[in-house]
Amino acid sequence: MSAVGDILQTIKEKAEGALAKKAAFGPDVDLSRFYECSPQERIESLDEVSSQLKEAALYAGVELENPGAGTYLQVDRSAVYERVLKPFEGKLEIMSVRRALEVYPEIVSKYWWKLIPVDTDKYTAFAELCFTEGYFIRVFAHQKVDIPLQACLLISEKSRVQSVHNVVILEEGAEANIITGCASVKGSEEGVHIGVSEFYLERGSRLTFTMIHNWGEQFHVRPRTAIRMEDDAFYSSTYVLMKPVASLQTFPQAFLEGENANAQFQSIIFAKGHSHIDIGSTLLLKAAGCRGNSISRVCAVDQAEVYTRGRLISYHDDTQAHLECKGILFSPGAKIISIPELEVHGAPKARLSHEAAVGPLEEETINYLRARGLKKEEALSLLTRGFLSIDIPGIPSLLKTYIEEIIKVTSRDIM
Amino acid sequence: MLHVENLKVTVEDRLVLDGVTLEVREGEVHVLLGPNGVGKTTLLMAIMGVPGYRIVSGRLFFNGEDITNLDMEERAKKGIGIAFQKMPPVRGISLRTMGEIILRTHGVDDLSLLENAAHRLDCFYLLSREVGVGFSGGEAKRAEIFQLLLQRPLFSMVDEPESGVDLDNIALVGKALKELFEREQVRTKRRSGLVITHTGYILDYLNADQGHVLMNGRIVCSGNPRDLFEDIRTKGYNECLRCER
Repeated sequence: MSAVGDILQTIKEKAEGALAKKAAFGPDVDLSRFYECSPQERIESLDEVSSQLKEAALYAGVELENPGAGTYLQVDRSAVYERVLKPFEGKLEIMSVRRALEVYPEIVSKYWWKLIPVDTDKYTAFAELCFTEGYFIRVFAHQKVDIPLQACLLISEKSRVQSVHNVVILEEGAEANIITGCASVKGSEEGVHIGVSEFYLERGSRLTFTMIHNWGEQFHVRPRTAIRMEDDAFYSSTYVLMKPVASLQTFPQAFLEGENANAQFQSIIFAKGHSHIDIGSTLLLKAAGCRGNSISRVCAVDQAEVYTRGRLISYHDDTQAHLECKGILFSPGAKIISIPELEVHGAPKARLSHEAAVGPLEEETINYLRARGLKKEEALSLLTRGFLSIDIPGIPSLLKTYIEEIIKVTSRDIM
Repeated sequence: MLHVENLKVTVEDRLVLDGVTLEVREGEVHVLLGPNGVGKTTLLMAIMGVPGYRIVSGRLFFNGEDITNLDMEERAKKGIGIAFQKMPPVRGISLRTMGEIILRTHGVDDLSLLENAAHRLDCFYLLSREVGVGFSGGEAKRAEIFQLLLQRPLFSMVDEPESGVDLDNIALVGKALKELFEREQVRTKRRSGLVITHTGYILDYLNADQGHVLMNGRIVCSGNPRDLFEDIRTKGYNECLRCER
């Protein structure tokens, strides 16, 4: 067996050993109740995408009518469309990860399960053993891709598990914005989405990553994400969830290994219905000058239950990071549980801080807006939108406007 | 324009206003004087309809219509506005957004009015900031009056426009209030208001028509605002009580 074959065999064996391993957080999902996704036919043009799929993509923030610098579309278990716009050919590549493994077998030894242990839990194990594609994006050294790249992962069938594995590499000095939208086409059906994502940010690269989820009320979602950052790398991640989901649990890890690496996490959550959401991020600050922020804004209504976690870990004196969890409860049946953790290992000059606040919208502020002529419902909607709008550093203004528009549209019918 | 009839108001079950009667006619500006804690702000809040200020008896009429039981936003739409004494922080909403909302809510599409008003009140640099977040005393007052200028209420209430404001800012605020109340117009004055003042500085700009002293939950004295203020300055508020007797 080849060296790559040996590695893959070892990975597989590890995965098999973890198939019954429950995740550290979030409700356990019995994956045996679900079927594998079916294959779908490839398309040559986005014009061939049905209006139903386009609409689902749009609600997850991906405008297929208006392709990005590169576009990846996956439906169920198949990568149905991958394309790089002409002006960006030679600057980046975007393809299904299965094809990337064929074209670049060295991915296995350099990037495959290198940041996330395959035996982390049953979901990572399942993603390996019942692997249903995912995307591979590489931006070549010193290329600045100013138009966002789009990746869209859709599930069109009932009671399926989609388990993707994504690999993103920004070579030295590269810059890119990626929007990933994930959605179920038939919103009310049950299903599971497992998404393993490994990001490699080389020296001086900059990535703004926006992920918008639009699943159904009976969907279980388990993203598993990790980022390795070299010297002067910058990573900004914005996660937006505005629709109900059965359960979502994710706890991405950023390894700030190079000097002056800077990671920013923002989560904007509007939890409705019976959603069980467990979300957070871990920043491991390992070198001089590393900086980071982890900020979450959570609104919870109905019977929704939200855990917001944050973990800052410093291993170097010259590091600084801040954790901020703010939440508003709109219903007596809803819950928000904020769990901040700060750890300093042998670095007495490291500066880590956290701020958490959970409470209602102030009556005084609502009345202030009503005195200007706004109805109470309008005031609540406006304040909620204001609360969820985070000032995101390093994000292009176009993308900022775009996120604000999503919040605006989806929070319109909050009350 | 505004008729307050024997108004009794409780706040957290405590009777604060005990039968206030007041008439402000079209084009008139009245000032309200009184020591701390007598219910001046409560009167403004009750006229605006702010929840928590409960009218237990009496009536409020605006342009002949009984508004006693209207919600505050309905009162605002009918032409009543207020500049609060304290501006709450409104996170996530910039002063520009707030201004645009006010204009649209009141049927104005010309957004250039916003920047013009901001320039006049030296608020332009505040437009991109969240309303009330980290504002100094002067900035908060100017931002409040700025919003009233956009709203253009027929009847504006201003709660202590001078408090926490330096003399330069008082001049700015004073000029803006003069514009708000159309004080420089002689025959065409239509807008009216009620202004709470402690220091009386604002009287230099307003040329108010009437003054009232509120004590023990009632108006105990009314008259020329400058005369009233001068009497209070020399003899104190206790004289008002004695005078009432």
